[in-house]
Amino acid sequence: MSVDSQGPQVGTDEWVARQGQRREYLPSWLGRAQQAGERIGWWPKLAIACLAGLALPLFGLGGFQLQVGIDALVIALLAVGLNVVVGWAGLLDLGFIAFFGVGAYGFALLSSPQIGSAGIHLPTWLSVPIVMIAAALLGLAVGLPSRRLIGDYLAIVTLFLGEAFVEFTNNVAPSVLGGPNGITTIDPISIFGYQLTTNASYYYLLVIVVVAVMAVLRLLETSRTGRAWRAVREDPLAAAAMTIPVNRVRLSAFACGAMVAALAGAIYAAQQTSVFPTDFDTPILILIYAGLILGGSGSIAGAVTGALVVMVIYDGLLRSSTEAGYLFYGLILLTLLVKLRPWRRLALVLAATVALGFAAHAIAAAISASAVAGGPQSGGWIGDALRYWVVVPANAQTLGNWGFVVLICLLITLVQVSSRWRTILLPPTLCLASFVWETRLVTEPAITRQLMIGAILIVMMNARPQGLLGQRRVETAT
Amino acid sequence: MSFFFQELVNGITTGALYSLVALGFSMVYGVLKLLNFAHGDLYMVGAYIGFFVIQWFGGAAHITIPVPLLLLTMFVLAGGLVGGLGVAMERFAYRPLRDAPRIAPLITAIGISFFLESSALLLFGAQYRVYNTAEFISLSSGIQIGSVTIDSVQIMVLVLGLVLMTALQLLVNRTRLGRKMRAVAADREAAEMLGINVNRVIASTFFLGSALAGIAGVMGGLLFNQVTATIGFIAGLKAFTAAVVGGIGSIPGAMLGGLLIGVAESMVTGYISSTYTNLIVFGLLIVVMLIRPSGLLGQAQLQKV
Amino acid sequence: MKGRLVIAAAAVGSLAVAACSSSSNSSTAASGGTSSAAAATKSCVASVGFEGPITGPVAPLGTEQLHFAQLAVAMDNLANKTKITLVQGDTQLQPAQATTVTQQFVSNPAILAVVGPAGSQEVEAVGGPMARAGMAFISGSATAVALTTGKYPTFFRVVSKDSVQGPQDANYIVKNLHPKALMIVDDQEAYSTGLVSAMVPVFQAAGIKVDHESVSQKVTDFSALVAKVTPETSVVVLPWQVAANAQQFGRDLAQEHKNAVIFGTDGLFSPGTFTINGSYVSSFGPDITAMPADAAIARAATQKFGSFGTFGPPVFAATHVIDEAIASVCKAGQTPSRSNVLAAIKNTNEPASILGQPISFDSHGDLNGGKFFLFKINSSGKYQLIPSS
Repeated sequence: MSVDSQGPQVGTDEWVARQGQRREYLPSWLGRAQQAGERIGWWPKLAIACLAGLALPLFGLGGFQLQVGIDALVIALLAVGLNVVVGWAGLLDLGFIAFFGVGAYGFALLSSPQIGSAGIHLPTWLSVPIVMIAAALLGLAVGLPSRRLIGDYLAIVTLFLGEAFVEFTNNVAPSVLGGPNGITTIDPISIFGYQLTTNASYYYLLVIVVVAVMAVLRLLETSRTGRAWRAVREDPLAAAAMTIPVNRVRLSAFACGAMVAALAGAIYAAQQTSVFPTDFDTPILILIYAGLILGGSGSIAGAVTGALVVMVIYDGLLRSSTEAGYLFYGLILLTLLVKLRPWRRLALVLAATVALGFAAHAIAAAISASAVAGGPQSGGWIGDALRYWVVVPANAQTLGNWGFVVLICLLITLVQVSSRWRTILLPPTLCLASFVWETRLVTEPAITRQLMIGAILIVMMNARPQGLLGQRRVETAT
Repeated sequence: MSFFFQELVNGITTGALYSLVALGFSMVYGVLKLLNFAHGDLYMVGAYIGFFVIQWFGGAAHITIPVPLLLLTMFVLAGGLVGGLGVAMERFAYRPLRDAPRIAPLITAIGISFFLESSALLLFGAQYRVYNTAEFISLSSGIQIGSVTIDSVQIMVLVLGLVLMTALQLLVNRTRLGRKMRAVAADREAAEMLGINVNRVIASTFFLGSALAGIAGVMGGLLFNQVTATIGFIAGLKAFTAAVVGGIGSIPGAMLGGLLIGVAESMVTGYISSTYTNLIVFGLLIVVMLIRPSGLLGQAQLQKV
Repeated sequence: MKGRLVIAAAAVGSLAVAACSSSSNSSTAASGGTSSAAAATKSCVASVGFEGPITGPVAPLGTEQLHFAQLAVAMDNLANKTKITLVQGDTQLQPAQATTVTQQFVSNPAILAVVGPAGSQEVEAVGGPMARAGMAFISGSATAVALTTGKYPTFFRVVSKDSVQGPQDANYIVKNLHPKALMIVDDQEAYSTGLVSAMVPVFQAAGIKVDHESVSQKVTDFSALVAKVTPETSVVVLPWQVAANAQQFGRDLAQEHKNAVIFGTDGLFSPGTFTINGSYVSSFGPDITAMPADAAIARAATQKFGSFGTFGPPVFAATHVIDEAIASVCKAGQTPSRSNVLAAIKNTNEPASILGQPISFDSHGDLNGGKFFLFKINSSGKYQLIPSS
């Protein structure tokens, strides 16, 4: 805990410290667990993760959870590909989604009744490599501007190309590309003659593919190419002075990322059995970036973990009101646990919150029955537990809205004030938060989903800017 | 020929709007090197504030105060409130990340964007809110040169845009605050060592940039009439594009970039085809970037060894 | 430190226990619900799913659809004494999200039928999984022709398809408005392009000069496009989904002193938003505020959520069909399940509905005898029905 509270140290940086084995561990048994975890190598950890992923459906995952798993694994694959371009080579590529689209549309064109009278129906072992090579060539083409453009200028050009892809597939050659109606009835992937048609089969395929790609990328990371990428990211001039062909290295990063994205696209197209231009628009790019950076840019395991966390939360948990409620209350409790320093203070705040809630409820019930007429909207045991604690009036929309605005103001104030005031303001804030949740947010699950993912992103980046599994880097000022 | 001028006028008007939003974006980038993806949503909040001011004063058809006063209230309120929102954003979400790798605030900005959009949906509802500008600023008030019409809202947008941009240029180049901003933009640590209150300078920058976005939002509402929670996304994208194409960090560059995009869109729609407008404009901008890699008016980036 | 750990462990442990117990609770609740429904038909308990673009690029349309679906469930529960709950799923008009939401509904045994999804692309994406689960789904706005060619046996819709509406409107324009030249603009969505491809041949066969333009739904400034309207162009056809965009287009037309008349389709039917004098709007739904039979519904809708357009009433009709199907199954003494609700929907034969016409489906799921209503907007912004001759 104490490591992260210090800023970057002048004169010391992570790499040097790591080389010198001068790492600080968490105190007591947590530190010993951390050290034990580090003794396990990367490859055994990958094997454990692979087995865990393959074994997960055996615990009874239904169709919905498998679909969420598939979506999450596709984004994880994309995040790992993006990691090559953004995390390792340091190129801000905002058009990465176009490679995903090229892979998906390429597979769709080659394995569906779309082209010609009966269509081309290339077998999987032919169409997927073709699509990957096409994407690699496109990646080289996209990477060419990177010779002259650096940083944010490259970002905007790649953004254009990404947007251009969506426009292109939507408006150009509708008879071939399908226009807004996309391409439907795509053939499923067939492996050694066995056709994959169920969600479970695609889930297993994706687990194996993600693990395989992680393995390949790990080999790349520890090879000369990986070191060249990292050198070019840190200091292109020094790298050039060391005879690293900077431009070629950048192009290879683009091509590698593009190939991984195209692979993800092909599997995605086969699983969905249809592709549409809107599948490759900016919202998906945002999800990939969120997953990559949340998990730790520059780390393979981080990219996959972050993407899985983001997608399981966004696409899975937050789609159901009850689970969103667990997440909401759970995250609040977790933040309190982590942030309130002496545990006596934590206990005091919790006790005060509970007392305040009961008191407010009793007072409101005494004043008027309609003030507590609407019960807490959360289903399950949370609603039952909170019935006499939170005040929920009968027609609460305007009140809920105002409560929401006041809550945001309170949260901003909490950040500014001294710690004594913070302790005093916390119980009312917590009661208000629960009020707003039960009154307003639970009744609009679609909007709450967006609110919560936004809040989670903000809070997580504040808490751990380097990402869950990322290394803290000292950036030299430019 | 008049068709050309009509398209030109239309393009310059929308371009002026993009420029205003791009200005705020560019300012924040210049001082913090931060790509604030939530900037477009500040535009959206400004547009909503303008709408509610109209409703407060009786609704579009029955305005109870003189129209210039109404417009002034809208601009001042939108600028002030959105500026405040920007400062709060900076304090709450961006300050802790000042020393983090540059890519971390990107995700925070995305999170803020999600949050702002869905808050607007929650608080204001999903339906389109319509300004109905024609009810209180008549469509026929404007000037007509030949068969080219420029209506009063367009004139207002152009004039106000120019005034704000000149004011901003003057502020950055001639005032003490502007000097401090330029110092912080050049080297934050050195500025701090020289006794400049960096936090306050950054807060002022955010306030100004966000206020500009809010005012641009009101103008957008007056021009385009409809407000909903998702208009911020496109505005933000155009602002980002305009700022970078013009040379990010440069105020005249943001102006130029916005105008270029507005005119290009107009001309391509008018002369080539509306179907491929976006594609062709993207292509054009890529060519511009390849010819001038640091943007039109940007300074060549120094690479420190 | 130790105290914090103890509290942390307690919190996590209790949450875990609660999560496990609640998940087993919910599954028993679901099965308990259906078995109790068998025992007592007077408590007809079921869930209906709603898939729509509640947030995202067309949030106003999706939210309107959601509100009307909720209204229908509330009114039908009162009338039929059923206990139907509406479960909502947000697709943001993306087919991939529609697939996820569909899987969520399919895995929920309480959900017996689905209203939605809204877009034709989404129907293409979810038709397969819905068919495999034997779950009926009725859309109130997916009008692509390809959807009812037999590919999706559990798909129904309460609106007519593009191949009916397009030529009908085009013929009206040719016969009654006699344009020498016209501009037709699609908004790059499937709904729009389908109508355009149905209408353009009719115009070209009549010898009219057609300028086919295309703008994205995200565009809100049409001055550049309006500048292209020639003096010869007397009609501009806007088969758009977003009425507010069309209103802006009309404003730009007036501002640039062009005299073209706007002809729009269902998306433009929005008495609060699209009010350009002299425009025509062709809608698959009637103006329910002008129909005495729908007065109660219109009143309730206006009271609860203000003004609405044309996307809400068909969803009301679709939800009502499902509610009636569930109620009829309960009345016959059976436990409602996906298969018997599907069968009941196939046999739907309502003599009257909110849409001002009887509802029954043909073998492919299309609405039988879908009517189109043509409106003209007068100078005070009111929609006047043009009687069909």
